[in-house]
Amino acid sequence: MKNKSIIITILFAVIFLSVSALCLAFPEGDYSDSERRELAKFPEVSAENIESGEWQKGFESYSTDRFPARDILRGVKAAFVKSVLFKSDNNGVFVADGHLSKIDSSENPAMMSHAQERFTFIYQKYLKDNRVFLTIVPDKNFVLANKNGYPSLDYESFIGKMREKLSFMEYIDVTDLLSADDYYRTDTHWRQEKITDISDHILNEMGKGINGGSYQENTSPYPFYGVYSGQYALPVEPDEIKYLTNDTIDNAIVTYYPSGLPQKGEMYNMEKASGKDPYEMFLSGTMPLITIEKQGGNPKNHLVLFRDSFGSSIAPLFLEGYDKITVIDTRYTASEMLGNLVDFEGADVLFLYSTTLLNNSLAIR
Amino acid sequence: MLFSSISFLYYFLPIVLILYFLAPRKLKNPVLLVSSLFFYAWGEPKCVFLMLATVLVNYIFGILIEKAQKKIFKKLFLFITIGLTLSGLLYFKYTGFFVMNYGRLMGWPLELMDIYLPVLPIGISFYTFQVLSYSVDVYRGEVPAQKNPITLATYIALFPQLIAGPIVRYKDVADQLRERTHSFEKIASGVRRFIFGLAKKVIFANTLGEFCESFYASTDLSVVYYWLFAVSFMLQIYFDFSGYSDMAIGLGKIFGFEFLENFRYPLISKSLSEFWRRWHISLGSWFRDYVYIPLGGNRVGKVRLLFNLFVVWFLTGFWHGAEWNFIIWGLYFFVLLLIEKTFLLKYIEKSKVLARLYTLFFIAVSFVIFSGNGAIEAFARVGGLFGVGGIPFVSSSVLYAFKNYGFVLILAILGATPLPKKIGESLLENPRTQKVTDILEILLLVVLLVVVTAFLVDGSFNPFLYFRF
Repeated sequence: MKNKSIIITILFAVIFLSVSALCLAFPEGDYSDSERRELAKFPEVSAENIESGEWQKGFESYSTDRFPARDILRGVKAAFVKSVLFKSDNNGVFVADGHLSKIDSSENPAMMSHAQERFTFIYQKYLKDNRVFLTIVPDKNFVLANKNGYPSLDYESFIGKMREKLSFMEYIDVTDLLSADDYYRTDTHWRQEKITDISDHILNEMGKGINGGSYQENTSPYPFYGVYSGQYALPVEPDEIKYLTNDTIDNAIVTYYPSGLPQKGEMYNMEKASGKDPYEMFLSGTMPLITIEKQGGNPKNHLVLFRDSFGSSIAPLFLEGYDKITVIDTRYTASEMLGNLVDFEGADVLFLYSTTLLNNSLAIR
Repeated sequence: MLFSSISFLYYFLPIVLILYFLAPRKLKNPVLLVSSLFFYAWGEPKCVFLMLATVLVNYIFGILIEKAQKKIFKKLFLFITIGLTLSGLLYFKYTGFFVMNYGRLMGWPLELMDIYLPVLPIGISFYTFQVLSYSVDVYRGEVPAQKNPITLATYIALFPQLIAGPIVRYKDVADQLRERTHSFEKIASGVRRFIFGLAKKVIFANTLGEFCESFYASTDLSVVYYWLFAVSFMLQIYFDFSGYSDMAIGLGKIFGFEFLENFRYPLISKSLSEFWRRWHISLGSWFRDYVYIPLGGNRVGKVRLLFNLFVVWFLTGFWHGAEWNFIIWGLYFFVLLLIEKTFLLKYIEKSKVLARLYTLFFIAVSFVIFSGNGAIEAFARVGGLFGVGGIPFVSSSVLYAFKNYGFVLILAILGATPLPKKIGESLLENPRTQKVTDILEILLLVVLLVVVTAFLVDGSFNPFLYFRF
C-alpha cells in the first residue's frame, strides 16, 4: 500500500493523543458498580509523597482505574481471554452448569486458625453454659467445581479441620442438602427460597421438631447482578431475588443495633434490593447486631446466631423454631464487647459460616 | 514506570512524542534526556542521582582517557572509571548478597543483616554495562570521547532501553546521537515493533506468568505440573524479555535510533552454544568483548581458557541477580557448553529433532534454576521435575492448568518460532494479497493495542521481572 507508513504514523499518533486527551478529560467515576469497589482517587501531591514514590504508585492506580470506558475494556479482555486464548476462567471466575463461580482452591491455615481462635474466645467467655452448634456452608464450588473439572477446596478436609479445633460445638452437617440450584447463578450466596429444607434440618438437629414452615414466595422487582457477574466482565442474565414471607415473618419485630443503640429495622429492605448489592436486602446486609422477635413470643426461646452474609437470608426462617433471634456479625463488632450487648443466658447458639469467610477470616474480630 | 502501563502509554509517551517532534533538532537530545530522567525518577526519585553521578564520572574520565598522552595514564584513568562505576553496582546490587552470606556464616540475626541492605536501583546493571562500554571503547580508541555531557547522559539514560536493555554500545549509536534521521517509514516500523512487543509482554508473558504464580501457590504439585511450569516459565521469560527488547527497539526507531537485535528466536536453537548466540545477544556480546577477549579469549592455553570461560559464565549468572541460584545458573551453562564444545556437539548435530529436544530440555531446566528465590528453592524445583520428594506423577491441578492454559501454550510455542513472521512477510510481499494484508496489518495493530489496553485496565497480572538485574 502506498503511504502505508504515513497512515500508520498518523493513525497511531491520533490514537495515542486522543486517548490521552480522553483520559484527562473524561476519567471514570469514583465507583465501579460492576466490580463493587471504589476506584483509586487522584493521589495527594506533596514533596514527601513524590520523594517516597507513593504519589507515583497512586497515579499508576488512578490512571488504570479511571481509564475511560473501563467496563467495556474489561469486557473486551474477558472476551479475548475466552474466545481467543480459550482460557477456562477470567480473573478466576468460570462458568459451569449455567453458574458463575470463582476458583478458590487453597486452604489458608492462618485464616482458619484465626477463625477458630476467635470462636473459641467467644465460647470460653460467654457460652460455656449454652448449647452451641456449628454449621459450615460450603461455597458453590462444592457442587460445581470438581464435576466440571475446576480445582476446588478439599471440603471434607477443610470442614474436618475446622470441626476438630471447634469440637466443643455440635456440628450440623448441611452439605448433603446442597445443590447448585440452591445458589444464585451470578453470586456467591444461597437463595432463601431454596434453603427452607436446610433451615428445617438445622432446627431439627437443634431439637426443635419442625415439620416445615409454609411461606409465600415474593419476587424482588429489581434485577440481581451478583458479585461474580462484575468480575466475569461479560454480559450475563441477571438473577431474580425471591424472598419468603408468612405471618410470623411479617409480624416479627426487627431491631438493628448499628452502633449499640436500637433502631427499627426491616427483615427485607427493598431500598437495598435496588442498590449496589441487592443481596443486602436480607436484614440490610452488613449489620453488627440485630434482634428478631416473634410478636407475642417467649423471649427465652432464644437463638443467638453468629453468622456471615449467608446468615442474613436464613435467619428469618429460624423463626419457625425460636421466638427471639439475636444475629451477630463479629466482623463489625468486637467479640470482647458482646457481653454488654447480648444476654446469652439460656440461649441456643449457632455459628453459621461459609467456607469462603472461614478461609479469609481476617475480618472476624 | 513500565512500558506496559497506562501511565506510560497514555500519559508519558504522548507528551514526550509531542515535545520531541516539536523540538528543533538541537533540542531533541535535551528533550529525550529530561524525559528519560523523569521516566527513571518516576519509580526511583533518589536513584536518578546515582545514575547522573555515573554519567559524570564517565564523562570526565572519558575525556581524560582520550587526552592522556601516555598509555599508563590512559590505563590508570580507565581503571579509576571502571572502579568508580562498578563500585555503584557492587554496593547497591551485591552488598546484600555478601552481607547475608557472611552473616549466615557468623550466625547474625536476620534483622541485623537487613540494616545493611541498600535498595537496588532499577536498571543499574544495564546502564552500568552501557557506560563501561563507552569508557573502554574510548580507551581502545574505537570512539572519540563525548565532549557534550548532555549527549553522553542522553545515551546512558535513554528511556527506551534504560531499565531492561538491550545493552546498547556507545559506538553503535554515537553517530545517531549526533545526527539521526526521522521518517514515516522508521516511525511506522517503530510503532509496529513496539505494539508487537507490548502484545508479547502483556498477552503472552503475563498470561503465562499468571500460570506460574498459580504453580507457586499450589499445594497440589506433581511431576507433570513441574514440567508444565518449566516450559511455561521458559516461554514467559522469553516473551517478557524479548517483548521488552522489541518495545525498546521500536521506541528507538520512533526517536530515530537503530538498536541492534537482542533476541533471534533462541528457542529454536539446535545447541546451547547457538541458544546463547540468539538469547540476550547484547549481554553475550558485551561479556565477549569486555571480559572474555581482554582475558585472552580462546588464544590461550587450555587451563587459562577454562578459567576465562568460568569467569564469563560466573559473571553472566551473577549479573542476573545477587543470589546463589543465578551463579549456579551461569555455571550450569559453563559446564554444559564445555561438554557440548568438547565432544557432544558433533553427535547431537546429526539429528535436528534430537538437537532441538536436547537444547530445549536443558534450557527449560536452566530456567527452573533461574526461577528460584535462592539455591534451595531452585534445587527443590529441579528435584520436582524428576519426582524427588515422592510427589505424584500427575495431579488434578495440572489437568486444570492444561485445560486453562493449553491453548495459550500452543500459541506461545508457535509464537516463539519464526513461523508467524514468515507467514506475515509472505502475505505482505505477495503482490496479489498485499493490499488486503496491508489493511489487515494496520487493523491487527489497532486490535492488539485495544486488547493490551483492556488487559492493563482490567488490572491483570503485570510483573516486572528485571528488578533483580
